[in-house]
Amino acid sequence: MNNMKRSIRRIFWLLVLCFFLLLGYMGKLVLMDRVAISTNSYNTRLRYVDNTIRRGDIIDIDGEVLATSVLQNDGTYVRKYLRSRMAAHITGYSSVGKTGVEAAENFEMMKLHNEFLQRVMSIATGKELVGNSVVVTVDMDIQTVAGNLLGNAKGAVVVVEPSTGRILALQAYPDFDPNTVSANWENLKDAENSPLVNRATQGLYPPGSTFKLVSSLAVMENIQDWQSRTYECTGRASFENKVIHCYNKKAHGTVDLKQALTVSCNGYFAQMATEFGASKLGEVMKRVGIETPLGFELAYSKNKIGLNPNATQSELVETAIGQGQTAVTPLYMAMLAAAIANEGIMMQPYIVDHIQYTNGKVGKYTVPKKLTKICTTAEATALKDMMVSVVENGTGSAASIKGVTVAGKTGTAENATGNDHSWFVGFAPAEDPKVAVAVLIENSNAYGSATPIAGKVIQEALKQMENKE
Amino acid sequence: MLDLLIMLSRFLFVFYIGFFLWQGIVYIAYEQGGFLGSPYHAVSIQRRLIILMHITAFLILAYNRELGIYNWQTVLFGAVGCVFLLAAIHFLDRFYYEGCPLIWTGMLFLMDTSLIMLQRLAPVLAYKQLMWMIIGLVGMLLLPAFFRLIPRFEVFEWAFIIICFGLLFCTKIFGVERNGSTNWLRVGGITFQPSELIKFLFVFYLASVFRKRVEWKEFIVTGVLSAGVVLLLVLQKDLGSALIFFMTYMVMLYIATANEFLFFLGMICASGAATFAYKIFSHVRVRVAAWQNPWVDIDRGGYQIVNSLFAITTWGFLGSGLTKGMPKSIPVVESDFIFAAICEEFGALFGAGVICIFIMLLYRGVRIALDCKRRYYSILALGVITMLCFQAFIIIGGVIKLIPLTGVTLPFVSYGGTSVLVSLMMMGLLQWVCVYCEQHDADEETSPVLETEGGQGYE
Repeated sequence: MNNMKRSIRRIFWLLVLCFFLLLGYMGKLVLMDRVAISTNSYNTRLRYVDNTIRRGDIIDIDGEVLATSVLQNDGTYVRKYLRSRMAAHITGYSSVGKTGVEAAENFEMMKLHNEFLQRVMSIATGKELVGNSVVVTVDMDIQTVAGNLLGNAKGAVVVVEPSTGRILALQAYPDFDPNTVSANWENLKDAENSPLVNRATQGLYPPGSTFKLVSSLAVMENIQDWQSRTYECTGRASFENKVIHCYNKKAHGTVDLKQALTVSCNGYFAQMATEFGASKLGEVMKRVGIETPLGFELAYSKNKIGLNPNATQSELVETAIGQGQTAVTPLYMAMLAAAIANEGIMMQPYIVDHIQYTNGKVGKYTVPKKLTKICTTAEATALKDMMVSVVENGTGSAASIKGVTVAGKTGTAENATGNDHSWFVGFAPAEDPKVAVAVLIENSNAYGSATPIAGKVIQEALKQMENKE
Repeated sequence: MLDLLIMLSRFLFVFYIGFFLWQGIVYIAYEQGGFLGSPYHAVSIQRRLIILMHITAFLILAYNRELGIYNWQTVLFGAVGCVFLLAAIHFLDRFYYEGCPLIWTGMLFLMDTSLIMLQRLAPVLAYKQLMWMIIGLVGMLLLPAFFRLIPRFEVFEWAFIIICFGLLFCTKIFGVERNGSTNWLRVGGITFQPSELIKFLFVFYLASVFRKRVEWKEFIVTGVLSAGVVLLLVLQKDLGSALIFFMTYMVMLYIATANEFLFFLGMICASGAATFAYKIFSHVRVRVAAWQNPWVDIDRGGYQIVNSLFAITTWGFLGSGLTKGMPKSIPVVESDFIFAAICEEFGALFGAGVICIFIMLLYRGVRIALDCKRRYYSILALGVITMLCFQAFIIIGGVIKLIPLTGVTLPFVSYGGTSVLVSLMMMGLLQWVCVYCEQHDADEETSPVLETEGGQGYE
């Protein structure tokens, strides 16, 4: 009988444990997974419109209103996007479903701060109920310059503050007018140039020569005598069954790492990669966070590493010069440049700065968070030095700014869709980096067309940041 | 104005369930020798909380927003529901003198939640549910009288299992398919789920066999017959019920033999069987795939579970407020997924409270099994409460994506006539055991505590 009592107690605790698992899992769902799950575009609750509440505004860091709700005669609210296309990929739209900040902060903008008081006041005085406003980190002055420079070229510009991960501008073309999304929905959703896709965060492109920043790190770590090692470039090099050319088949002569990066010598990096091998390169690629979830508020694509440890030699050399199967977003490349600027520490990117309540108070500031450490401070400094040389003496000279030391790396990515994509990633001032950028122009006609745009964007961003200090 | 009240009502509902549970703790503390308050007050406060919650909810539900008037039909139904609750409180005390009051209040709280939620989702179902609750309650009140007429019903052990198999074979042959499972039977104009009915018989059968010393013969016979029941249920694609029957068998076998080895052996066999089922049945694979990653197939396989997760997470701890959520986006929300609807409109805290009520029921049921001095009743009580609580666990676990979804009802809460009826009868049985033991153990203090049929004691 006592045995039985013991067994009964054990069964009791087993079942209680089951119930506690339920409680724990529910807590996890509501506390930790809530935002990730509920902002999914399939959630019909996002389409829920409460016409008794005026949705909060979206405001840029300087206080410029990007999106607001206006009361119509029939008592419903209509959403107005005051900067229309210029901030379309940031605000997103809120009509046929939701995207961008409209989706990410949907519930915040529908929420009433101090709900009880607002509702009582509303009954007493007839004042309208207003949701919380979202202040984004974006500076519309930089955003506008970036947008105008991009013009009608397909591509993306990302500007980020290296020390915090704050997104200062996020521009992508083709874009759309969020005011008329629902009217033009049929055209927009299947349009050939996919204007609804935010190329800055969702476009996946081969990194081209900008990937040599990662290859350089692998060289510094795996080639003992990298500082004295040189390579004789003839403009052409063959590995197994793969022939690598330098751009325009130009012979660069004797190059070391710094010189190879400055002139973007494919032969050097291909040769080094074959020396340390695919698994070492793969290790570095993982560490620099290509596959790390970015934790960004807006929808973004996951980068792809197209290299496995048993890769053939031709796959390896292609990857080392940024071709092959590896694909990255412009957002990630901006973060990579920012991490080099920030002594090897990659910060988590964020676009929502804080929430502004109806009573004028503010709160819920996003706290900058370290995402990962991509390399040592010494390596970052060495890389920075080489990137300065790229802009001063090499392929990136079009990005140089008078009176400011710019560090950067250009890229030309061959791809299956036509002309090469043009890349530039970099940061400035090199001595004390304030901004990092990534510019991508799809199927660019002119060689290196991303580089001058990057220069001008950096110049504007530095000017704006100086004004604020 | 209404919005303001609904917003405030969210706090009120969380308060109701929180205070309800606290009163349960007060009662238990007194029983354990501590003192947090009077246990008699605790129970009467719990009863008042149930009535208050009922009134609050129906005041919100009955208001017609478009017309700005009260819907008298809903008010009337609310009043009938209120009378039902009061009558249940009154009669349960009379018919089960000295039954555990916490089980009654916990059960009524869940039943009230069910009425409110069904009124919100589909009023027609709420009316039917109330009807079944009344039938179940009447049956439950007659239960003690029935057992008084047939005092030694444990001798019918063979009859129980034969009826079990009879019902299962009938379903296999004449069954009607609903929601992907062929586990419905239609007699006259009424469709019902035999798998619910046989729960009752199955527990009776096992308790009757296990009341004697468990030898190899009993072990093999019960093992084979239980495996047969489980297999038939799997063939009817009723995986949830199969799982419940298996667990009930294992638990009852374990407490009858106190043999851990057998328990773990059973679990290993079950894992093997589950893997086998995964390989050969496509509907099992579909369920598991929908559990592992519902996000890749939102439009089809993952639709239900993903919508359930949206419902639970979107509004946070306090929920959207009654009538303000969108629970109807979840398919079969009124039966299997009612827990998601509760979390959506009453909030995740209230949902956690519902889980705690099941823990409270479990504790009280186990208490009865422990206090009972007769082996047969002990096993019976534990079988009943394990079955009920495990059922609650697998459906809530399925709805929140902790375990793969198996379609069973949440006892007392989900819509389903047979389910309500059987759950009520099982609670009646549990309480009857409690009352019976209280009355008879005292007389038999000196006599042997074990059934001695066949001249053999267990220890």
